[in-house]
Amino acid sequence: MHTIALSLAAVVVLGGAVPARSAPDDHAGAIAALADMRAAVAEIVRIEDGYAVGHAAYLRAAHRAMNALVGRRDDGYAASFGDPGDGVGTLGHLDRMLDQTGSSLWTPAVQGAKANVLAAAANLESALGQKEMEEYQADLTRALASLALVAGRSSEGGVLGGLTGALANTSLGVPAGSSVVSGCGSPKSAPAYGVVAGRLAYVALPRSTAAAGIPAGLGVSRVELLGDTVVLYAPMARAASAQCSSKGSRLQRTRAVVTSAASAPYTAAQAHAGMAVYRRTCLQCHGADLQGTAGPGVAGTEFLVNAQRNKWTLQDLRTTVFDNMPFSNPGSLTPKQYADVTAFLLAANCYPAGSKPFPQTASPALAKVKLGPVPGAKPANPKLGTCAVK
Amino acid sequence: MSHRVIVLTILAAFVATISAVGPAGVGAQNAWPTADAFAAADKDAANWILPARNYGGNRYLAGGSITAGNVGTLKKAWTVKVDARGPLEVAPIVWNGTMYVTSSHNDVYALDAKTGTVKWHFPYKPHVIAFSANRGVALGDGKVYEATLDGHLIALDATTGKPAWNVVAAHDVSNTFFTMQPVPYKNMLLLGASNGDWGGIGYLSAYDAATGKRLWDWNAVPGPGEPGHETWSGDSWKRGGGAIWSGLAIDPATSTIYVDLGNPQPDFLGTIRKGANLYTNSMVALDVSGAKPKIKWYHQFIPHDTHDWDPAMPPVLFTGTVKGASRNLVAAGDKGGNFWVLDAGTGAQVYRVAVSTQKGQNTQPNRKGDIACPNTNGGVEFNGGSYMPETNAFYVPSVDQCGIWKSQGTATYVSGQFYLGGAFPALYGPSTGYMSAIDIGTGKFLWRKHLAFPQIGGALSMSTGVVFTGGVNGDFTAYDAKSGSVLWHYPTKMTIQAPAGSYVVGGKQYVVIAAGPAGVNFADPRLNQGAPTLEGKYSHPTSAMITAFTLP
Repeated sequence: MHTIALSLAAVVVLGGAVPARSAPDDHAGAIAALADMRAAVAEIVRIEDGYAVGHAAYLRAAHRAMNALVGRRDDGYAASFGDPGDGVGTLGHLDRMLDQTGSSLWTPAVQGAKANVLAAAANLESALGQKEMEEYQADLTRALASLALVAGRSSEGGVLGGLTGALANTSLGVPAGSSVVSGCGSPKSAPAYGVVAGRLAYVALPRSTAAAGIPAGLGVSRVELLGDTVVLYAPMARAASAQCSSKGSRLQRTRAVVTSAASAPYTAAQAHAGMAVYRRTCLQCHGADLQGTAGPGVAGTEFLVNAQRNKWTLQDLRTTVFDNMPFSNPGSLTPKQYADVTAFLLAANCYPAGSKPFPQTASPALAKVKLGPVPGAKPANPKLGTCAVK
Repeated sequence: MSHRVIVLTILAAFVATISAVGPAGVGAQNAWPTADAFAAADKDAANWILPARNYGGNRYLAGGSITAGNVGTLKKAWTVKVDARGPLEVAPIVWNGTMYVTSSHNDVYALDAKTGTVKWHFPYKPHVIAFSANRGVALGDGKVYEATLDGHLIALDATTGKPAWNVVAAHDVSNTFFTMQPVPYKNMLLLGASNGDWGGIGYLSAYDAATGKRLWDWNAVPGPGEPGHETWSGDSWKRGGGAIWSGLAIDPATSTIYVDLGNPQPDFLGTIRKGANLYTNSMVALDVSGAKPKIKWYHQFIPHDTHDWDPAMPPVLFTGTVKGASRNLVAAGDKGGNFWVLDAGTGAQVYRVAVSTQKGQNTQPNRKGDIACPNTNGGVEFNGGSYMPETNAFYVPSVDQCGIWKSQGTATYVSGQFYLGGAFPALYGPSTGYMSAIDIGTGKFLWRKHLAFPQIGGALSMSTGVVFTGGVNGDFTAYDAKSGSVLWHYPTKMTIQAPAGSYVVGGKQYVVIAAGPAGVNFADPRLNQGAPTLEGKYSHPTSAMITAFTLP
């Protein structure tokens, strides 16, 4: 158990003062989340290593570790025991990082870290209720195992990489205000962070300042000296440079789009019936050309590009149509009419009709279909990007 | 303070037309309104340079040649068509014989205020997130400013209509847009973010009028460590709402901004945001004398709202006589059917008057559906009301509708989509409206008209004894301020959702109103079928028009 704790402490962050700023940035958030987690681990190690006497000292340690993990805005926070962390808590920092509209390459790692913090908090909660020392220790051991996954390791991406992996291998490793360059090819300037499609390839430092220290959160697999520039390659630098070849990226793009277009279920008969529903119920606000008048546009290039940007799925479209429309009288159509008019919208957006109808009841499969421009579509109105519905 | 301005204006009422800065009196050295001119906008009968006429937000005119005695002879002077892809909600700005108006999709027009001739037209094609609406431009030093549906703040050359600068002012353009008319104040433009019901947090911002650079933001929902943060459970504050949709009132003498914040989110699901949810559904008085705004006081009208009953009416600062004593007051109105009068210095409640049918004020929407009144877009709407010192009365139109409200078990944020935790309600029962005159001395109705259609056009009162307003069936009406009798009406045969304005050009006083398609705002099925108006039928219009009236 002590070994786990020690290796955790070693994994975390090399120096690097976080400059003060008004809005918290993601890089600083990850560093602070790790610092809070380290404070929690230190509390656990201290009580396990020492020879405390009495129930109170053990409760106090578990409460303090809990405080550092969950932060003062959580119900589990007990201020009277003190907080070895910064008050925001690992959970607070991670929530802040996750509470944004876009998602990044590092989002799954942070989501995984959050799940592991919650697991550790549950273990601590359980420890607080234990009467036997053995049970208490077993709970703390489980908490430490979860926290080891929060820290993760620099050689892995995704959930297994934890925060350390995300800091070492993605744009999360770039402090706010740093110079970011394309990570393809050799560095041309320093200091600079080389990033490709959200993956961190390297950090280039001037030789004169490189000796002063490695930037916070960085994991290094290889060091290269290029003239006066020291290049520190990220552990997964190879995965980053693989993104540079046009073949690889094109392949990825095509694959993503084909998935979305092929799996939007509706029949031509539904779309035809839905056209009448649209004219009667929707046209007044969304327009005869579907570009929107009082309401927003619902078909064509602008709609699909916006849908893609906002990561809308077919499920999101269904929710809006079935639950919130028509705006002035939601829920006033029959399930068949709602399914038909959704089919009409898919057809007008150039999704190909198939043999499977758009379902009248909720279907989890719809959440897997991302909306976006349909490859190979031949819009009847190229300017608007809409297809004719027959 | 604006109440002093009002008092001065009353004293100056007889000389108002003389002191007015008419086109003839404006030299090249004073081509655009100065900070002093904005502060004294009340005294300038020729021009209309602030959204609601003056910093107090009171659409009231002292003096003028249109009176209760002659308003019956008012005739259409001109009408001009503008872009009709949505309802018109614009308050026209008039300066020096030129009128500036906007369409719902952010087109800007400069019109000859005497003839309606288009001087220039700035077309715009925003991405519409939610619904299309715009309440007009701000006027500045040779520029007009517009805030757009895609989150931009744009400055145009007021003489040519050519863009001077264009900045992305919204922090998150996936859920934030602008409907409000920017307010010029000192060297700043004040603008609130419309993102309520779409998962954002409201904020009021100040921008440098010369460059568009952001000077400060004030967030409507307090963050961790700020007072009021404890009124939100868990992380619910992060998408808590408090949008700023319509206008502001400003007291330049004390550097105080009065702002109303919109409803909490998710709108119809209160269980995941336990607490009062400050500062949603509140009026906040902000001291803006320093580098950053500071709260002087707040008054929450409906804590923990679950019906989208936000205070849509822009605040109106005025000095009224309450039970015989003169007091500095600020008025508000909410979609829950309440008209409020507060003490302007402390925020303490003076009156609450129900101006629409109310039912289920303390219930929450459920999965099955629950009837509550007013309906969404009921009660007092975004153009608000007007105070007239001569009658000590406040004139406020309202919407009388009920709705069936449903919540869902959860609310999931999807960027660029509704964040409701339910659905907007469906109309239940009749759809009517009121025009009310409330005696500020007693808090009781001076008179009240029950009308066949929702009333949301706002009120324009004149010291000459006339009050103008418009209904969603398109009737533009002048009432006798003392008795409520109809003195004049004109059927635009379109939907009126905009406030009336007044100006003088060529020595003649004009009244102006915008009317257009019904849009998404009003769940009145008659508007799709050709509703009856005072003269003939509402025409289910596909056009949008600005119409000016004058005496023969």
